[in-house]
Amino acid sequence: MTAAPIVTGAPTVFVVDDDPSVRSSLKFLLSTVGLHAEGFDSADAFLHKKLPDAPSCLVLDVRLPGLSGLDFQRELAARNIRIPIIFLTGHGDIPMSVRAMKAGAVEFLTKPFRDQDLLDAVRVALERDRTRREQERELMTLRQRYGALTSREKEVISMVAAGMLNKQIADRLGTAESTVKVQRSRAMEKMHAESLVDLLKMIEKLQDPSERTR
Amino acid sequence: MQRDTPPISPAELEAANVGLRRENAAREHAEGDLGTSEEKYRLLVDTASDAIVSIDDQGSIMFANPAIATVFGYDPAELTGKPLTLLMPEHMRKLHESGFTRYLATGQRHINWQGTELTALRKNGEEFPVEISFGELTRDGRKMFTGFLRDISKRKQAEKALRAAMDERTRISAFREEIGVALSHQEDLRGILRNCAAAMVRHLDAAFARIWTLSGDGRELELQASAGMYTHLDGPHSRIPVGQHKIGLIAQERKPHLTNDTQNDPRVSDKDWARREKMVSFAGYPLVLEDRLVGVLAMFSQKPLTESTLDALSFAAEMIAQGVERRRAEEALRRSEAFLAEGQRLGQIGSYSWRVATDTIEWSNELYRIYEFEIGVPVTPELIRSRVHPQDLSLYEKMVEKARIGGEDLEWQFRLLMPDHSIKYMHAVAQATRDQNGQLEYIAVIQDVTERRLSEEALDKSRSELAQMSKLTSLGEMAASIAHEVNQPLTAVTNNGNACLRLLANHNLEPDVLRRALGEIVADGTRASAVIARIRAFIKKGPVEKSALDVNEVIQEVLVLAGRELYENQISVERQLTASLPLVSADRVQLQQVLLNLVMNSIEALSAVTGRPRLLRMQSRIDESGDVLVAVSDSGAGFGSEMDRVFTPFFTTKANGMGMGLSISRSLIESHGGRLWAAPNSPHGAVFSFTLPATPGSPS
Repeated sequence: MTAAPIVTGAPTVFVVDDDPSVRSSLKFLLSTVGLHAEGFDSADAFLHKKLPDAPSCLVLDVRLPGLSGLDFQRELAARNIRIPIIFLTGHGDIPMSVRAMKAGAVEFLTKPFRDQDLLDAVRVALERDRTRREQERELMTLRQRYGALTSREKEVISMVAAGMLNKQIADRLGTAESTVKVQRSRAMEKMHAESLVDLLKMIEKLQDPSERTR
Repeated sequence: MQRDTPPISPAELEAANVGLRRENAAREHAEGDLGTSEEKYRLLVDTASDAIVSIDDQGSIMFANPAIATVFGYDPAELTGKPLTLLMPEHMRKLHESGFTRYLATGQRHINWQGTELTALRKNGEEFPVEISFGELTRDGRKMFTGFLRDISKRKQAEKALRAAMDERTRISAFREEIGVALSHQEDLRGILRNCAAAMVRHLDAAFARIWTLSGDGRELELQASAGMYTHLDGPHSRIPVGQHKIGLIAQERKPHLTNDTQNDPRVSDKDWARREKMVSFAGYPLVLEDRLVGVLAMFSQKPLTESTLDALSFAAEMIAQGVERRRAEEALRRSEAFLAEGQRLGQIGSYSWRVATDTIEWSNELYRIYEFEIGVPVTPELIRSRVHPQDLSLYEKMVEKARIGGEDLEWQFRLLMPDHSIKYMHAVAQATRDQNGQLEYIAVIQDVTERRLSEEALDKSRSELAQMSKLTSLGEMAASIAHEVNQPLTAVTNNGNACLRLLANHNLEPDVLRRALGEIVADGTRASAVIARIRAFIKKGPVEKSALDVNEVIQEVLVLAGRELYENQISVERQLTASLPLVSADRVQLQQVLLNLVMNSIEALSAVTGRPRLLRMQSRIDESGDVLVAVSDSGAGFGSEMDRVFTPFFTTKANGMGMGLSISRSLIESHGGRLWAAPNSPHGAVFSFTLPATPGSPS
């Protein structure tokens, strides 16, 4: 398939920590590897920020004034904001870190942490976000293309996906096999599918979008 | 509702009759005097209130007195010469004429001449009852008759009303009796109310009568009985919300609603029905008992309501309210008996009765369960005795003895030893009663208080532990709250330092950037040390109460406090405590904190140990310089290469540790003029030791 053009800005790391010196030191550290970072002193402040259309991740102190880090994680999930999270904690205990990781956190680091651990985690998180965004975009493109199919074309390719031969499809639909062939190739063209396998993969993605994105 | 005539009592009526007789007698007496006193006669006749008419032997009126005008409406003069029959209604005239003729011929009277009641006719054609008395007089050989006619229509009316009242009274008393009978029947509530409604139909002219009771939640009226025209209990009237329709309003207002004019009553909703069925009246009464609404009774009737009907209804409402309430109370009692059994089960309370003379003992089912005997086996003193804890047997015997002779109420606690060797704690209260023959009987309740007893014991224990722990844990709490504060600047320092190192490695050296980062590092370093300084200041400032302490005592106390942890982690404790140590001058709580901290550290280290004994050794002795030395050693993993770091704030090898305990412990010991250090134990684990200066002059 032809990939949709990727329009993304520079990746951004959002740092949420109530301590200004921790925030600025994190921004400084991230800048040494060329990463852009933005700081927020509370979960609330972050929630008011409009997120850019670019890979991003969140470096979050567990112990925050107001909404705690773990509650904040839950809040983001509830708002369907699927940004990868790296937790920082002053005195993390095991149950807390297990909870955070189960809820999809990328990493759980205890302060003070090794700089490489943080930078690695940030890299993983940004990569994860980039992949997710690509998949979402890809799925959106697929949906648009699929939406452009006629209902007969949709019928035909769903039967193709079910493993039926052109002749069987023609019998079922009460048309000529040659008509089915035309409709099938037109549908493949519209979907930008280069092969039958390609088309089947697309249909699979369309049928179960939750499987494809994380 | 109104009444046409005031009721006349029989006594009044009797008085009226006596008066009448007296008047008649007077009149007869006057007649006797007639010949002698014409004037007297004239006076009597003219002033009499009764009509007086004289006729000749032809039946023609010879004379009428002035009262004839008020009684009959004729002028006396206008009647002279007219036949007497003019004063009679048509149907009487023949009878009179034949009777009159017969009398003249035969002397046979066809009516009683004294006080006969007949019907008379007024000039205006109105018939009315009269009481007639007449006499006969012969003058000049001709018979003449004089009659006294008294208008008794008022009296008649009164009599009629009285009779009606008497009838009604009979009816009402029958009604009351029936209600009373219905309510005393041992039927269910519905049956009782059905009989009450039927009585309303039978005796109070109700076309139909209904009774509702208030539902349990007090929101609805539930139809319980319907008698007369309608007897069904379902349909729209079966449940009426309080406050709706006329019945619900009666309930809400708790006032009767009465009408003799259903067609114009705003609360009668189905006027067509009322007209079709000729329903004239409606009466509804709330059933209220001591300010509590119990229900509503109501009836429709094709006859107007009379005062006595209303009296009867209001009586019935009161009686029925009482009846309903009594039924409810009885039901509640039955239920509460069931509850009691359930309550015994839930509360593990058993009850028994004991007839002392015969040793007859009856147990409740729950008591069987508590004693763990099969329900129903005969209970004997021996059987009970077999369960009593051996240590409580003598107490038990004493109580039994006391009960046999005493006859006073008893309360005692004892234990049961069950076949599985478990112990049950029992609390018994027995009340002495005498039956009708004067025989002593005890009614007792026994409660299984084992759980309460055990939880009380546990509570007592934990309470005293808690008091100690709260003092001790303040140390940990303080450490927790400052950990974050210290960690923040340390994190910033590390980040900035690392960033600088990276820039250096990349030869990306911008002096401004480096200067700013280094400036921040210094500022955060200062901030961190300020926090540490605050901790030290806090520890020094703490309320220190130094006293002369025996270290061994403190060690024992701490081992008690840590007892549960030691037990749960299967750690054996070895004590090597030197007797008669010199006392040390120290704050007991701070010393406990340090020791507990060391012991807890060891426990944590030991909890990971498998494959060799988990051993904790507590030692106390005098060291070479004469100080008191305490050593806590364990067979745990030790700390290997990190030995030198253990006293650094925030150093920890434990997943849940704060890393503050050892550094604070060291500060505490140093503030007492002592030292605290760590060393590896042989072959495994660690030894933490501290010294405290001996108090001069104490035994050594």
